[in-house]
Amino acid sequence: MIALENVSFSYKKWVGVTDVNLVVKRDEFTYIIGPTGSGKTTLMRLIYMDLFPDNGRVLINGYDTSRIKNRHIPRLRQNIGMIFQEYHLLSDRNLFANVALPLHVMGIKRNEIKETVAEILNEVGLYGKESHYPNELSGGEQQRACIARALVKRPEIILADEPTGNLDPITAYDLMELLDTINGEGTAVFMASHNYTLIRDRGHRIIQIQEGKLRA
Amino acid sequence: MDKFLFLVGEGFKNLWRFKITTITSIISVFMTLYLIGILFTIGDNSQKLIVYLRSKYKIEVFFKQEISDTKAQKLTQEIQKIPGIRSATNINRADAARIFKQQFGEDILTLLETNPLPASCVVNISRTQSSAIDIAPIIAEIKKIDGVDEITFQGRLISRIERYYDLLFKTLTGVAIVILLVTISIISNTIKLTFYIRADLVKALKLVGASNIFIKIPFIIDGILQGLIGALLASAALYGTIFAGNHFIAAMTNRIRISSDLFIGLWLTIVAVLIGMIGASRATAKLLK
Repeated sequence: MIALENVSFSYKKWVGVTDVNLVVKRDEFTYIIGPTGSGKTTLMRLIYMDLFPDNGRVLINGYDTSRIKNRHIPRLRQNIGMIFQEYHLLSDRNLFANVALPLHVMGIKRNEIKETVAEILNEVGLYGKESHYPNELSGGEQQRACIARALVKRPEIILADEPTGNLDPITAYDLMELLDTINGEGTAVFMASHNYTLIRDRGHRIIQIQEGKLRA
Repeated sequence: MDKFLFLVGEGFKNLWRFKITTITSIISVFMTLYLIGILFTIGDNSQKLIVYLRSKYKIEVFFKQEISDTKAQKLTQEIQKIPGIRSATNINRADAARIFKQQFGEDILTLLETNPLPASCVVNISRTQSSAIDIAPIIAEIKKIDGVDEITFQGRLISRIERYYDLLFKTLTGVAIVILLVTISIISNTIKLTFYIRADLVKALKLVGASNIFIKIPFIIDGILQGLIGALLASAALYGTIFAGNHFIAAMTNRIRISSDLFIGLWLTIVAVLIGMIGASRATAKLLK
């Protein structure tokens, strides 16, 4: 599902990742841990093809960074749900409009959008808050909204970049439970975190990254 | 269809969400289009004036004494074929004597017992071409015809009128092009500004898999709407100005009237929609590279 083969990427002034080899299977929950600046976000950006490797290649659901055309990247991203530490919710739209955005992009009909959004908000525990604006939601609720937006298109992969970074421990724990449930339903989750204590006892695969290199 | 409605809705929402920048842009579009409309009206009216003046241009061609009326008729037909000539009217010797009598009150045949007046023709030149008319090549062509004795025309006056008209036409075209480019730039910058303000939306759209064209369309619709509103306001103001101008002139004289193209509003709207579209496409193309 996700395969990185000898991937290296450098920014102008510093190294992003070096010679990364990694395979994430369907239904797998994978944590990538490492200190700030170790290359976790670079890895995420390489996976959703916001960056392209200087060497090696990234393969996602049959798309190959060495061959993909720019016009195919949106289609690739429609199959990946993304969650960030900074929620990236649109402050001038209510919860419903924020969550419905990916469905509009995919050209889903209005009636279907209404049903799907209601269903997903129910799943993440935000049902009844459709008309609330992001600033009317707590940090945990905003992150759930972000998850709802990532999940609403029923992606095969969820990429979560430090999703608990801005949350208190209890809310962070609830969020981890939610991601576990999502993974249990068949979605591969690839999550970056620097909070080892939060993930160590969850029984999932953990990969360590340091100075751009993966450690066993 | 739902996708299309969503994009159109987003375009309208952009307009509403960024009222201040939108109003500034609409005012700029309004002012520039109004100016273009005024320039167009000046150009249109001066074109009508030049057509009228050209209808007054007269070239008189006198044939040699020995040329018979029949031959003069043939030479007149030959002159009519020269490019740039609208019509040539033959005046035979008898007609010339009649004209003489009308103008001087004397019958030349009674005075001299013979008619010394040659056959001639009066030439009118084409009057509807938009570029300046150069009278010299026409005169040169007429002179080449065997049997032509003398040509009289208001050469200096005609070339002066044509030179001024040409200068006016070129100036108006140049100013209109500059104004159009400025308007495109204004719309383009407004859209760029909106684009920067909406960086969060653009980022969110990219993350959820929106194509560049999907991201661009609402901004292009925004640009078109700005152009459209500006054009409607400019058309109304232009018609108002022409109406007021005619009202003012009518108080002084009823011989002159500013004529207006009925479709000028439509033309301005088409121009505005095009520049709105070009401006927005230009801005988004640069930012989505």
